[in-house]
Amino acid sequence: MQLLNTFLIGLTAGAIYALMAIAFVLVWRSTRVVNFAQAGMALLSTYFGYEAVSRLGSFWIALPVAMIGGALFAALVEFTLMRLLVKHASSGPIAGVAPIIATLGLLGVIKSVVTMIWGGQDLVIVAPISNNGFKINETTTLVFSPLKLFILVVVLILLIILTILFQKTNLGLALRASAHAPEIARLSGIRVDAVRTLGWALAGAAGAVAGLFQTVNGNGNFSPDSTEFSLLLVSGFIAAVIGGLDSLLGAVLGGLFLGIAISFVLMYVSSGLFFIAPFVILLLVLFLRPQGIIGVKVGRRA
Amino acid sequence: MHKSKKQSTHIPLFILGGIVLFILSNFIEELRVLQGTTIAVYVIAISSIILLTGYSGQVSLGHGALMALGAYAAALLRFEFNVPIILCFIAAVLVAAVGGLLLGLAAARLSGPYLAGTTLALAIGLPSLANQFSILGGEQGKEFKVGPKDPDPDAVATVAGESLTVLGKILSFLGKLMETFAIGAWPDASPVTTYKWWFWIAALAALISMWSVRNILNSAYGRSWRAGRGNEVAAQLAGINTARSKVLAFTISAGIAGLAGALLAMTIGTVSPSAFPLALSFSLLTGAVLSGISTLGGVIIGSVVLVAIPEIADVVAHRLGSSESVTTNLPGLIVSGLLILTVLFVPNGPVEQHRARKAKHEAVHNSTKK
Repeated sequence: MQLLNTFLIGLTAGAIYALMAIAFVLVWRSTRVVNFAQAGMALLSTYFGYEAVSRLGSFWIALPVAMIGGALFAALVEFTLMRLLVKHASSGPIAGVAPIIATLGLLGVIKSVVTMIWGGQDLVIVAPISNNGFKINETTTLVFSPLKLFILVVVLILLIILTILFQKTNLGLALRASAHAPEIARLSGIRVDAVRTLGWALAGAAGAVAGLFQTVNGNGNFSPDSTEFSLLLVSGFIAAVIGGLDSLLGAVLGGLFLGIAISFVLMYVSSGLFFIAPFVILLLVLFLRPQGIIGVKVGRRA
Repeated sequence: MHKSKKQSTHIPLFILGGIVLFILSNFIEELRVLQGTTIAVYVIAISSIILLTGYSGQVSLGHGALMALGAYAAALLRFEFNVPIILCFIAAVLVAAVGGLLLGLAAARLSGPYLAGTTLALAIGLPSLANQFSILGGEQGKEFKVGPKDPDPDAVATVAGESLTVLGKILSFLGKLMETFAIGAWPDASPVTTYKWWFWIAALAALISMWSVRNILNSAYGRSWRAGRGNEVAAQLAGINTARSKVLAFTISAGIAGLAGALLAMTIGTVSPSAFPLALSFSLLTGAVLSGISTLGGVIIGSVVLVAIPEIADVVAHRLGSSESVTTNLPGLIVSGLLILTVLFVPNGPVEQHRARKAKHEAVHNSTKK
């Protein structure tokens, strides 16, 4: 029973990491940037969601509000910051690290501004459906709850929607073309810049869902300094790397794998390894299978 | 490159700098002395980033963790075995360098965002490990007291005392010298306070590490790092083992960061996980970018700015009469905002920017002459 519980807890946590990983992959595919501000955007979107819940009283309205807010903000960032970055800092010794530094700076800006507006104290978003475990019979209760089931279903649906978008629509074709061969895409009439902004917007929405779910899946508390968002940043990135950083399916599998692996380490090794376990798993993956579990041809050195 | 032509190691310059700092420390107020100490610590830490990122082209967001490694090594030796301070600092360098070697071995296989993400995970993960071992003191941390008047009647105190008397002699000699030349009276009443003691240690460490880093960067190693950063394949063709040179850069950089970590712990008095937050790693990166990521000489700019920002933010917040949440977060906002603005508009740092503009100006000037 403990084994099953550990697995199910890990699966849910992994689904949230997968959402974050999807956000990383979308940004990476559209602009070849790892967006370290992703966690900050998720945080900001969670505050959007909080405002919606407290004004309109429903989580079901808050979810789309946070998604739209996150998407608009991400699009704005791409439209201003990233375009300026390409224009100004694409040569010299800084070129390789400029995007990393800029997104980290953005992370700091978002965190400071959020704390200025909403304060540093814990705020609460109440879970819309019960987080009490399913009862198997009179004596045993699973840790797995309707809320966790809901999270898994939503992640699955989002993955399906995104896959259809990327594989079956013209827009998806434009997204893929701009990522792989921007020059040729531009020549064939695709507005690459607009497509890139769209990629960021999609990532912003995915990150918003991750932020909200991470909050309600925990105790509902969140604050700008909560470790939840640092964990979300690191785990999302690691999940994306495990998946090869270029594949949506890889990101989801990577997230689930990471969530389950961490859950087992915490249960059977030591619960104090909360933060170091992802790092060790990342190192193992990078050494054993550097191309990610969904193989891509280009190595990490590219 | 024009730099490699200079063969001198600039020892007299650094000694002169040390004397100036020493004299200066006796004339300014205590608070400024403490700030001077912080600047010296930042100088060391930022120069380690510049060596790694600016020259070897590797990004590390985990230097906070490496600093913690050095700090814990120093504090453990001091607290458990009462080792002399100087040995504690050397141990900090060595332990952090070993940590950097291990990290560097992993890093040599990674690039750009992968390396950044890996070191980020380390920066978040490593400090929390301290809670796992009771000898490291958990969340409260480990005491690390360094002062001129050591209460313990042990060898360390006498070593400190002896060096103090030597310092005292130099001090009074300098005082007489200055009176002779009628520069002004030496502030004789000023005793050797803890802050001053820290400042001397930190400034000495900063001078020594700046001197070493400068000479390493101008040596064959520094050139091979720059070659590898510029074009890895070309560097390999020129006979440079780029993987090994990257690992070496990481090891040296980590050792310097370890020294900075031990010094930082000295000014706090304890070593705890919360002393090395992720924000520390970020602000070091900010400092390096502000200094000009590949200009060692600019390192003082970044360090002073990092120390000055909280003060400026304080003044600004008071002027605006804003609430507490704004006041406490303004420094973070300014640091991050500066980071973005610098990357966008002065990507290679103010010093390099000035140099480039000057070179351009001269080129234009020369062409018009013809």
